[in-house]
Amino acid sequence: MNDLQLYLTFAIFAAVILAIAFDVIDMALAALLGVSLMMLFGILGNEDFVAVGKTAAGPLALLFGGMVVARVLAETGIFPRIGSILLRATGGSGKRFLLLIFVIVAPVCSLLPNATTVILLAPIVIRVAQALELDFVGPMILMALISNTAGLLTLVGDPATFLVGSSIGMSFGSYLKHVSLGGLLALLSILPLLPWLMPQVWKVRRQLPAQLPVEKIERPWFVVLALVVLAIMVLLFMFGEDIPAHIAPPAVAIVGATLALLVVYGARVAPVETVIRDVDWKTLVFLAAIFCLVQGFIKTGLLQGMAFRLADGFGTDFLLVGLLLLVGIGVLSSVLANIPVVAAALVMTKGYLVAIEAVPETAMAASFVDWPIATLPVFVAMMFGATLGGNATMIGASANVVSIGICASHGQRVTFIRFMRYGLPITVVQLTVSGLYVLALSHLMH
Amino acid sequence: MKISKHTLRSGLLALAACLAMLAPVAAHAGAVIQAIKSRGELRCGVSEGIPGFSARDANGNWSGLDIDFCRALAAALLGDPQRVAFVPLKSSMRFPALEVGKVDLLARNTTWTMEREVVLRLEFPGVLFYDGQGFMVAKKAKVRKLADLSGTTVCVEKGTNHQRNLLDYFSDHKMSVKLLVIDSASGAAQALFAGRCLAYSSDSAQLAAMRLTAPEGAKSMAILPERISKEPLGPVLKRGDDDWYALVRWVLYALIMAEERGVTRANVDNVLPKLVLYEDKNSPATALGVSPGWGQRAIKAVGNYGEMYERNVGRDSPLGIERGLNRLWDQGGLMYAPPLR
Repeated sequence: MNDLQLYLTFAIFAAVILAIAFDVIDMALAALLGVSLMMLFGILGNEDFVAVGKTAAGPLALLFGGMVVARVLAETGIFPRIGSILLRATGGSGKRFLLLIFVIVAPVCSLLPNATTVILLAPIVIRVAQALELDFVGPMILMALISNTAGLLTLVGDPATFLVGSSIGMSFGSYLKHVSLGGLLALLSILPLLPWLMPQVWKVRRQLPAQLPVEKIERPWFVVLALVVLAIMVLLFMFGEDIPAHIAPPAVAIVGATLALLVVYGARVAPVETVIRDVDWKTLVFLAAIFCLVQGFIKTGLLQGMAFRLADGFGTDFLLVGLLLLVGIGVLSSVLANIPVVAAALVMTKGYLVAIEAVPETAMAASFVDWPIATLPVFVAMMFGATLGGNATMIGASANVVSIGICASHGQRVTFIRFMRYGLPITVVQLTVSGLYVLALSHLMH
Repeated sequence: MKISKHTLRSGLLALAACLAMLAPVAAHAGAVIQAIKSRGELRCGVSEGIPGFSARDANGNWSGLDIDFCRALAAALLGDPQRVAFVPLKSSMRFPALEVGKVDLLARNTTWTMEREVVLRLEFPGVLFYDGQGFMVAKKAKVRKLADLSGTTVCVEKGTNHQRNLLDYFSDHKMSVKLLVIDSASGAAQALFAGRCLAYSSDSAQLAAMRLTAPEGAKSMAILPERISKEPLGPVLKRGDDDWYALVRWVLYALIMAEERGVTRANVDNVLPKLVLYEDKNSPATALGVSPGWGQRAIKAVGNYGEMYERNVGRDSPLGIERGLNRLWDQGGLMYAPPLR
């Protein structure tokens, strides 16, 4: 990449973000225009699309699978039923509704892919919000933010945390010991903000009828089959990588989608073509384009090259480097897909640690796991920055993009600024809490 | 958020058309070659200053065997040996620099080892200099052989193989040694000159270079005859770009082949068309993404391997290192180039 291409990359990227932020043109079109320009200027070539395929295929497969399964489940009529149960549980209180979203989404997302969970739970949340006569946008955004944050609770909760954790040989148990508490604190830090961010929901009190109407299930056998597919999918998400075939979450999503289509085809409930057409293709195209744009940004080498600035500027001050990474990666992840950002940041961080001779040269290898305990806060800070930074804007995480896509399909268009009104304050508080956690961890590691 | 089938199809077709337009670009050259051509400059990671290999004079001009190799590569690829940015790197920074793309290759006294190739996934296209780890001592110290160093302090540079080689050798021979690990090669040499250690251990060529900086002159220092390791030094690449690997490898072979065939910097224009180094438009050059005449340009820039050697580290240089293993294969050395056809 020459200097002109370097500047063009930043200019194109900035233009796309600004076009989306100020609602100049449709966000998917803005992203596609950016990709097209990068291709025409020779910034993105065939080898880049191979690289994009490697990072984007997984997240896109997860979304596609989730969308197909959710669409098939919609045919069963169970969403209104579960919605009725949840509505009853709220007792007509908006405050209790928000807390219930918290209680349901956080544990599910600590084990299952975030965006898939959002897709599956969205119909229920929207139904309850409508029953409480509330604008469902706030609860939908809250669900996305909780799902992103809950990814920090376990090693497998978020692809970015898994990427960092697995690259330093961190076990599931070690993650629970060193990182999960920080994730929990970040999650809980959302709670005190809710009355301030969503007062119109928080204060609502509705009188629910004594007897809520119960939706009738017309094809019980179809419901059973669809729920079996969902159960298989959930089990494979949790244990698929432990079985001999070693099925990763994106593959599980594809298998789940296929089984769901098989059920809908066999039961002749809806044509397969209709189910596939109802997949939110625009969201998928937008995310694919964003991954391409991020590849152009990563290709500039700006992030990776920071390794030497860190080594020259901060030496072995791991705490300072950790806090810098927390904020830096947090800011980048708020506008870029966090998986490629984390992949590039890992190269940078490992390069920095080798350059200052905190670890031997073999630490550059993927198989190296003997990281000194003193370096742990640096990697933990990366996990927090990558995961929580995505909460700031509507394009920061795939769960955000999916949630606003669902809002739009239900007639509520969410602007960049509106999302930020919720996302940015929460991100600032969460990054502050995480910074304090990294500080405490750093002292403990010494 | 629905999108009509027609819009979707049109968008995907447009995307596919753009991808198809790019296909011919990527088919002929590797990403690194593309990037260097696009940048118009080769970025070569070198040592911070080892006379004979990579050193900078008062005017900022670089010279040395590693420097010449980078210039040959730039001449072959870009048509101009001056279009090289030399990036001086500490030992510990060399592999991160390669990994993050700060440099296109390392020509920095790096030993080809299995660990580096297999574990670090680096590529070593060839050997530019066969070396071995030796020991430099002050002549007045009256150390004549390695056994005399048992129980003494030896200086080594941090972040190199030398430390491990040294400990292994002394342990295998039931001798003890205390290491004084110093940040840089010049720092380790200065520590020896200051008497902080009895010997300085490094690649013998590096010792010869550092000997020139001794305050009492090169003759005040001696390099012991024993070598405790094999140190094949050469260019290093990040793995994953076959075309780039092939180009670096064959530029090195072209320089060796030139010496075999008696092609020199002075006669290259006259004799080359009669030799196998001549390429036409259907030659491998096209496949590698460089213009025909790459070998000729490389030789014209720095001379053949023998010329490079003698000028920088051999008889025409202050170092005066014997060719030894670096002689051509038909003269008792290890330098051998496969046929360029």
